[in-house]
Amino acid sequence: MKPAPFEYYAPESVEEVVSLLEKLEDDDVEAKVLAGGQSFMPMLSMRVARPEALVDLSKLSELDYIREEGDVIAIGAMASKSDAEDSALIQAKQPLLHAATKYIGHRQVRNRGTVGGSFAHADPAAEYGAVATTLDIQMKIVGPDGERVVSADDFYVTFLTTDIDSTEILTEVRVPVLPAGTGWAFQEMSRRNGDLAMAGVAVTLRLDAGKCSDVRISVFGVNATPVRCTDAEQLVNGQAPGDDVFSKAGESAAQFIDEPIADVHGSADYRRQLVNVLVARCLAEAVTRV
Amino acid sequence: MAIEIPKSPEELPTTSPRFVGKNVNRIEDPGLVAGTTEFIDNFSLPGMLHCAILRSPHAHARVVKVNADAAAQLPGVEAVLTGEDIKRWCNPATTSPEGWGTYPMAVDKVLFVGEPVAAVAASSRYVAEDALELIEVEYETLPVVKDAREGLKPDSPVLFEQHESNVIHDRTHIWGDVDKVFAEADHVIQEKFRWNRCGANPMETFGCVCQWDVIQDNLTCHGSYQTPGFIGLGRSASLNLPSNKIKVVSHPHGGSFGGKGGPRGTDIASLLSRKANGKPVKYIEDRMEYLTAGGGQSWDRYYDASIAVKADGTVTGFKVDLLDDQGAGAEGYGTISVAKPLAAFTGCYRIEAAKYSLKLVATNRAPTYPYRGYGPPPHNFVLESLMDKAARSLQIDVAEIRRLNYIRPDQFPYTIPSGNEYDSGNYEAVLDKVLDMADYKKMREEQAKAQAEGRLVGIGVASTVEPGVFDWNAYATVGVPGVGVPEGVKVSIDILGNITVTVGFSLEGQGQYTLAVQIVADYFGVEMDAVRVAYAATDVAPPHFGPGGSRLGVALSGAILGACKKIEEKFRIVAAGLMQCEPEHMELMDGLMRIKGVPGAEMPIAAVAGAMLARSDLLPPGMEPCPEATYVWTAPGRNEPDDQGRCKSYLTAANATHVVLVEVDRDTGFTDILQYFIVDDCGTRLNPSTVEGQLQGGVAQGVGAALYEEYVYSDDAQPLASTFMDYLLPTVSEVPITEKGEVVTPSPFTPLGAKGCGEGAIHTTPAVIVCAINDALSPLGVQVRETPASPNRVWNLIQQAQQ
Ligand SMILES: Cc1cc2nc3c(=O)[nH]c(=O)nc-3n(C[C@H](O)[C@H](O)[C@H](O)COP(=O)(O)OP(=O)(O)OC[C@H]3O[C@@H](n4cnc5c(N)ncnc54)[C@H](O)[C@@H]3O)c2cc1C
Repeated sequence: MKPAPFEYYAPESVEEVVSLLEKLEDDDVEAKVLAGGQSFMPMLSMRVARPEALVDLSKLSELDYIREEGDVIAIGAMASKSDAEDSALIQAKQPLLHAATKYIGHRQVRNRGTVGGSFAHADPAAEYGAVATTLDIQMKIVGPDGERVVSADDFYVTFLTTDIDSTEILTEVRVPVLPAGTGWAFQEMSRRNGDLAMAGVAVTLRLDAGKCSDVRISVFGVNATPVRCTDAEQLVNGQAPGDDVFSKAGESAAQFIDEPIADVHGSADYRRQLVNVLVARCLAEAVTRV
Repeated sequence: MAIEIPKSPEELPTTSPRFVGKNVNRIEDPGLVAGTTEFIDNFSLPGMLHCAILRSPHAHARVVKVNADAAAQLPGVEAVLTGEDIKRWCNPATTSPEGWGTYPMAVDKVLFVGEPVAAVAASSRYVAEDALELIEVEYETLPVVKDAREGLKPDSPVLFEQHESNVIHDRTHIWGDVDKVFAEADHVIQEKFRWNRCGANPMETFGCVCQWDVIQDNLTCHGSYQTPGFIGLGRSASLNLPSNKIKVVSHPHGGSFGGKGGPRGTDIASLLSRKANGKPVKYIEDRMEYLTAGGGQSWDRYYDASIAVKADGTVTGFKVDLLDDQGAGAEGYGTISVAKPLAAFTGCYRIEAAKYSLKLVATNRAPTYPYRGYGPPPHNFVLESLMDKAARSLQIDVAEIRRLNYIRPDQFPYTIPSGNEYDSGNYEAVLDKVLDMADYKKMREEQAKAQAEGRLVGIGVASTVEPGVFDWNAYATVGVPGVGVPEGVKVSIDILGNITVTVGFSLEGQGQYTLAVQIVADYFGVEMDAVRVAYAATDVAPPHFGPGGSRLGVALSGAILGACKKIEEKFRIVAAGLMQCEPEHMELMDGLMRIKGVPGAEMPIAAVAGAMLARSDLLPPGMEPCPEATYVWTAPGRNEPDDQGRCKSYLTAANATHVVLVEVDRDTGFTDILQYFIVDDCGTRLNPSTVEGQLQGGVAQGVGAALYEEYVYSDDAQPLASTFMDYLLPTVSEVPITEKGEVVTPSPFTPLGAKGCGEGAIHTTPAVIVCAINDALSPLGVQVRETPASPNRVWNLIQQAQQ
């Protein structure tokens, strides 16, 4: 379990990274960037990923920040997940992201793993996927043509694949501050504490004169990319909160999922059931937080 | 001359033991904590090469051609090993029963995914793995035997062609008049069970550094060996070397649990060294290799079992029909795991007759190995599940049906139908204590309340016997020869009175070096600091086996006490000479040789040892100036099995009852362990904190077996759990902190009255957790009969119930 040979680069600025990636591409050298290595190192060691060149981002201290910019929390791609977990700003102003962060692996994984890496890796079971589609997080991507911003819906393409091009890197995720009066919930089911989830759900909602509004429900761990369950959202919008409507929403979300992933931990039917239960439970929990 | 070994701590030559029976700090720990303990991966030799092994991607295929030319050309590669070399130099693994082993590397056919087909020794593991990619292997795939049921079919493909069938062992044991007790039973409780493959996963995988001295034709193997002497003998057979030309050095290892395996890795690394002109070769098994093809797979079983029960709940008979998937042959001694239940077949109960029908089948899954507890954990799961089912149908409380059937204290020593003799016990006292700790009555009331709210809350009560101090005769039924498992130590006192204990086994985690020091320090009345434990490799160690089968604590105690006693006898003669009295008037007490009844007439043992080594003029004539002794202990009274496999095998019978409270989530099938209580009786507790540690570790592995761990295979026998993402070990978050209590019924048969307790709670935990889940599910009318009780499986059952 040792990586195949590769060239190694450790540039010191985003600019250098981008020009290096461009040059490598021009030279027909297949390159990949390395952040905290929590997903990528095992893939290298098992030789399921075998880039010819590895561009290590660990010297990009310019991308290691978490700051408030108006009603957005800007998180540099190289901030660690532990920093996100420990951030008083995130805890106070974006509790959904904070709650989700704590579910990512164990503290040791979060110490080394970066926030950007979790978004860019796009694991179907990544907590951040559902958080992104629920909160409509914006991804800042820098490449040879400069900077562009992509919204969560367009960012996730398929299994382990995002809209980031091979000569680009993700530099920042822009997370809207949770507006006052918004309830939220995050729950997942994994076999053990810290495991990748078999299924998980992120929910935000508001109450308008006793009726649910602005309901957003996203599910992860069941398809190649996170899924917004718009049918279920519609079912709840305009309804008074209650077990009945929430369990209907759960059923609707479960049916909404096309061909759930099946593996040794859970069958497709079982994952559908988890979606069903978790959506209902999250809606009920979110209401308590409005 | 027979050596009298103290049967209780009170018989030690000390006014009051200062260390035996106390929670002393382990002498192993400073090195482990500071990182100075030399695990095999930290060990290197000058000029050492690194081995990587190319493994089969197919479960069953003919190896048509292996071309390793390009690999041999890669810079840094020093040797390449293929089936051709193996055929020339090696023999297939010896097995019990005979004839079910393969070569350490495939020579014509591969029988499981992960079987070695070629290997490389190179300047680094990186280069070695690069070289593997250059080896071309042509396979011709063969139809696959995916599991034991398939393997039994008449038209099944055959793995070992010389045998014409896949059945390794087919036997029925009958003990007592089984037909009669079943015919006379008021109820026959019958059930089918599936125990899915799980097994040992030590933190450290197997590793070795092997060096073949091509001039002297000697082989030295350093490695994470659990049983170095046994490994040496096996290598002698497989590598065609005289046994005294193989030196095995066991390094401290990060656990083993029976799964360290190592024969294949050792053979391959040794032959690579031979090919590389004697350069040492290191092989460190990686976790994927371990999980797919290492020694960590065990107990892949289908049971059909029943008990005969009288109207009052008395259980009179027990029948077990076991179909066991051994995987690709018997190289791992997985066979002994089906023989071991004979040592405690009927558990804690006075069941008068029993029947055990066995079929062991070869399949294209990885070969199976022993795992902590060997065979009884699944067997106990079956028996305890049947006890619960009987209790439920007779409407007897699950604790009470057990009490009713327990062997009673006055019945010990007690011979069970399958032949073994239990030394002692007080099962009812254990039960009472644990029920009391758990406040069982209140627990049942709380459960009723929860059930009224629709919650699935369940209580499990399970009682088991842990056979301790294994003997080879326990495995005679599957073809293992021999009676007795000698364990030897040498105790030496130097000229300054410092003491060294030389043993033939290395650190594995159970704290035996500490135990050795505790006993010697109390015996000779010295501080623990004055005693050192030295490891001796197989070339110089006394006869030994090492840890395994809950034996070493007892065996080591016996060996040490025997050696100490021999020294005491010599000292008696020497001191008598020095003090001008008769040896029979001398006694050893609190570190002094003294004349009985004469206050002040005494000399410290250091002085006696010093005189022996430095004053030959003062020694009695003919006295050898040697203040040391070797003693080799084996369990007394072991005998040859009769035609039904009955014999006195395991020397001790420890006992435990666990009580657990669980809640099952009706919507998701998740099981939450809410409370967990244990009372156990393993006789004298030589180091109580070690006993507790062993218990808790057994709980962890039991939780794994009950809820998490499973080597899943696809229909074409591809392993689907080849990383820790899929093979789930319980972590600190999943393993409950258990509340523990004890009852002490010393063994009348062992040194100091201790019983084997190393395997501990794994005997009981899987059974009690599943029993608790079943209690929780019983309002729904469904029951778990398959392990692990994963959320998906439990949810499926709940779904069934709702249909
Ligand atoms: C034991 C364990 C448990 C885990 N549990 C979870 C879990 O529960 N939930 C979960 O979501 N994850 C889990 N993970 C994965 C972990 O969270 C990873 O840290 C994360 O997926 C990647 O972050 P990283 O910084 O380590 O990236 P790396 O592993 O270095 O990279 C991952 C991928 O992202 C790309 N990449 C990284 N940064 C950028 C960038 N700035 N721009 C473009 N591409 C980039 C890399 O090229 C690579 O393809 C677990 C990992 C382990 C080891």
